[in-house]
Amino acid sequence: MSAGTAGLRAALADFAGRVNGDERLRKMIADWDRTIALEASEGGGEGLVVRAGEVRVADAMPDQADIRLRASVSVLEDVFSGALSPTEPYVDGSLAVQGSQEDVLRLDFLSLMIWGD
Amino acid sequence: MSGAALEVVSVSLGSSTRDHTVEIVAGARRFRLSRVGTDGDLDEAARRIADLDGHVAAIGLGGIDIYLEAAGTRYPVRDGVRLQACAHVTPVVDGAGVKDTLERQAVEALAAEGVVGPGTPVFLVSALDRFGMAEAFDAAGCRLACGDLMVTAGIPYPIESLAELADVARRVLPQFARLPFTMLYPTGKAQEREPDGKLADAFAAAAVVAGDFHLIRQHMPARLDGKTVVTNTTTAEDVADLARRGVARLVTTTPPMEGRTFGTNVIEAMGVAALGSPPGGAAPAEVARVLAELGIGPQARRLETVS
Repeated sequence: MSAGTAGLRAALADFAGRVNGDERLRKMIADWDRTIALEASEGGGEGLVVRAGEVRVADAMPDQADIRLRASVSVLEDVFSGALSPTEPYVDGSLAVQGSQEDVLRLDFLSLMIWGD
Repeated sequence: MSGAALEVVSVSLGSSTRDHTVEIVAGARRFRLSRVGTDGDLDEAARRIADLDGHVAAIGLGGIDIYLEAAGTRYPVRDGVRLQACAHVTPVVDGAGVKDTLERQAVEALAAEGVVGPGTPVFLVSALDRFGMAEAFDAAGCRLACGDLMVTAGIPYPIESLAELADVARRVLPQFARLPFTMLYPTGKAQEREPDGKLADAFAAAAVVAGDFHLIRQHMPARLDGKTVVTNTTTAEDVADLARRGVARLVTTTPPMEGRTFGTNVIEAMGVAALGSPPGGAAPAEVARVLAELGIGPQARRLETVS
């Protein structure tokens, strides 16, 4: 963690807590063991680890990841705090995503189930 | 029989290998119905629609929706709205109105025959694009499992009530409908992949499998013994394949024409053409009325099981 991503890390912890606290969302990720890297375009980054139906913030940005999101720290923080839908920066190009389409859609889905509406 | 054939063209994001044209007589009208696949190429679809504008009686949009409607709320699909806007004179329709009428009729007919009723397990592969069908199964008392999350994002979670379906729609559709449609639905070559059998358990648990045929075909298992399938856009080869897998009854929400059942977009475009091609299309009730006059409606048939 760098000082520049402290806000992002807090947003990720909140995101993980919301997923873990929702029985329906936990069912939806029960089969989904994934590592997610969040690369800040300013440098540095954070990560999420999904194992056995539970999400936790990674100790450090993972080198190996199933899904990679790359954007400015503020965009990443907005996405994981619910201030911004992941679709908007994806469509306008300010969020780059690597990973299988199903994985990317599942991550989007989790976010929208928490903050959509 | 009156005058020249009314020309209806369906521009589809689906595979061009399924292209076909038929001429039919319905009521006292002749229709020439064509389906043109663009293999998932949205720009090509836009060009085709612009070229057809003003030259045909109605245009159908296949393989994509203009709006998704769930629990009374309409969600515009970005790519579908963009394609519709490519025509300025000829009405462009996606079949949503026909889905909401003919698919309900198909389910109501099954309920009247006793094929479905309280507790009948139904696997609706995707319900967010046919909420009316989900409502009709629910009204018949069926035990519904909707596979939207399974087929779109691989999430092994069936949606089992209309209330939950509406909740998911409200949270997800406003944003998902803005994504490139090819992320959400198989188009082009993706429609030709061999069935992956990934949702075998959901199919096995159901007495009735319903919904979009491409999604059914993409995920169906080797055996579907004794099941009823309620779907559309089938070819003669598709029907033979379902029979080989043991399907007992096939209900198509539109009637076969020269061995194929056209998508609801084609049938809605046909109804709109028969109504004189009013700009912006016509109310679903009006389209349903004229289609009934033309003798167009769901059709059920028993399949001869082939081993």
